[in-house]
Amino acid sequence: MRAVIRNGIGIFHPQGFLDGNAGNSYLSVEDIDATIKSNTSMILVSLKKVIFFNRNGLDAFVKMFAKVRSANHITVGFCDYDKKKYDTIKKFYNNDLNFSLFKTEQIASLFSSSFKEKNQNVLLYSEDKSQRAALAIELHDNGHNPIVAQTKEEFLEKSKVKDAYDLIISETFLGQMGQKVAARVTGNAIIYSLSSFIDAEIGETFNIAYHNNSLNVGFRLFIFDAYKVISMNIHALNFFSKLSSSSAEYNATICFVGMSFDKTPIAFKETLEDAGIMFFEQMDDILQNKELLDELGASSAASGKNRRTLNKVLVTELPNFIDATVATIEMMTNSTACKDAAKVDKIQIDSKDGKIASSIGFYGDIDGMVMLIFPLGIAKKACELLIGENTDDKELILDTLAELVNIVGGKIKTLLADEHISVDITLPRTYHDVDGLLEVADSKKGVQVDLSFDNDKFLFFLTR
Amino acid sequence: MITTKQIDSFIEKIPPSPKVLQETLALLNEGDLPKAAKVAKTDPALNAYLKELVNKPIYGFKNEVSDISQIFGILGVGRSQQAVYNYMISLLSPDKWVMFQLNKTSFYNLQAQLCANWQKILEHLKINDKNAQNSIALLPASFIVSEALFCEKIDDVELLRSVDEIDLNTILQRLCKMDLFDICQRIAQKWEMPKSTIAIIQAASGVKPSQNKTVNLLGKWMHMLLFYTLSQPLFIEAGLNDFIDFQVEYVGDIYEEFTQVMEIE
Repeated sequence: MRAVIRNGIGIFHPQGFLDGNAGNSYLSVEDIDATIKSNTSMILVSLKKVIFFNRNGLDAFVKMFAKVRSANHITVGFCDYDKKKYDTIKKFYNNDLNFSLFKTEQIASLFSSSFKEKNQNVLLYSEDKSQRAALAIELHDNGHNPIVAQTKEEFLEKSKVKDAYDLIISETFLGQMGQKVAARVTGNAIIYSLSSFIDAEIGETFNIAYHNNSLNVGFRLFIFDAYKVISMNIHALNFFSKLSSSSAEYNATICFVGMSFDKTPIAFKETLEDAGIMFFEQMDDILQNKELLDELGASSAASGKNRRTLNKVLVTELPNFIDATVATIEMMTNSTACKDAAKVDKIQIDSKDGKIASSIGFYGDIDGMVMLIFPLGIAKKACELLIGENTDDKELILDTLAELVNIVGGKIKTLLADEHISVDITLPRTYHDVDGLLEVADSKKGVQVDLSFDNDKFLFFLTR
Repeated sequence: MITTKQIDSFIEKIPPSPKVLQETLALLNEGDLPKAAKVAKTDPALNAYLKELVNKPIYGFKNEVSDISQIFGILGVGRSQQAVYNYMISLLSPDKWVMFQLNKTSFYNLQAQLCANWQKILEHLKINDKNAQNSIALLPASFIVSEALFCEKIDDVELLRSVDEIDLNTILQRLCKMDLFDICQRIAQKWEMPKSTIAIIQAASGVKPSQNKTVNLLGKWMHMLLFYTLSQPLFIEAGLNDFIDFQVEYVGDIYEEFTQVMEIE
């Protein structure tokens, strides 16, 4: 069984009766490996569809938690349960509870610092005083407003006024929290999370290949969420200075949010600022400020300095890329595609109106990026399978489009792997309109393939 | 990925039920066990299947039963009919399973387990109705339909499921406005299975509760039994556990009773 990965959280969904035999059957060695390799900030097991479980049944997953945490230092635990299941798990593991318990997936996402929903007013209660404090601190760190009920009576009284809170948290337990430099995308900014002491190790834990490829795909704003950083030393300082100057070649901006200089020499801040890094107190100072976002490049992307050209390997693999894209769109829309024309040149778009776009990069044995430009109609149709209904909410369509492009990326990865070419894919980037994409692609040469789906035109562009 | 056309052609390819089976079922319906056995004996494959099924440990017979008239005699009218229906469904199963890691033996085991436990449930509910008894035989048709429709789309399904928690039933419903159980229904209609048998299967999908109280109750028990069975290591490893969504709320009110009937500690 594999985890479903959304917004940086991987969730397993076992169903039915979870006893010792069943538990062990859900996870093969390969499944655990794949989980460790997934670039997630949290791994959870949902108990929503589990009607019965015993300790042996949970143990299989708890063992997986230990492996994943020791390899990736991320948050692990169970979610989606009722009070009875919560009490049972706490009883089973008593003093051994080193994983987390989140009553719902939505509650878990508040702790994953996914920033999907910001500034939530959260009422919280736990019988354990230290848990109350830990929950409140984590929520605060992640940009929410926790309101802590000190007694059960107070909690019950306050929770009667349902409209006063965005979310009510109870029956939730924080085990050891994660430490990984995890990346996630908010809008078109990439956010990396840092915590505790930052030293020379950052050079190893930070995924530089991923960062470089994000730059290449067109991401221009990188935010380090540093609320939880206690201090950094001179090696870390050098690392970030270098990172900033190399990113500057792409016109990209690096920001630090929430970094306190109580235990870090204030002179470091000046050095980092000299290297071009900006400091902000709150995540919202950036994310809620549209003008600043535009200025920092999260909505536009000037093309990079290193102009790379198409090479033979990429062109040889072209059929694979087109197959993956066409097959995915055909699968999602149940329609058939026709290839109209293909040429090697700069991207050329006849009509920009009513189109949205998305791009995804890949790197490894070969590197490059795929850009897709859809008429809104096809995008809507293609997303219907994932959303389950017809919608006109453009944000939702863009979000789902990102998932779709992710599927295309995954498919490309598998097709290339069949030919022993190993690549990783970046997070997908989406564009509200064609102009945004053109800023990245305008001057690049690539292979353009015009496709049509039931008379709707669709454009595929492969470049480096 | 999958179109209504493909579904239609799949159903079209299903042959009508063999004459011998139709006759055997009709005779069983009249309660004429000896005559039914005589007709059934003319189909060697049916003979072999019934022998294998009935001698599975879950049926709990001490000595090997090998003669058809003996088998029908032990099982009685209702369960004999059910066994013949099981055979009919098994005719649809592929020679080689691709989507699910099943083979002939494990598929027969699945049928045997579902039937033996369904009998326990019907006895507990004090329901003595042939159509209710037979309905369980139709349930595994849903796996066969999934296998047939999705076996060439495994990679697509996997990719889709890596970003969304979506079951095969929902994929089919969204693409073709028809789900696995609707397809089972069309197979059953082709084979002229009784209406109430079909209604129970639809309710057992967990997403289409029935207005009829008894049918709905049986649907709940069958949905629960399905996931009880699919929670066994053999079937989890076969990839069957999440082919459709388990509707915990639908079966919530019978859970305690179910654990007692199945003696779950």
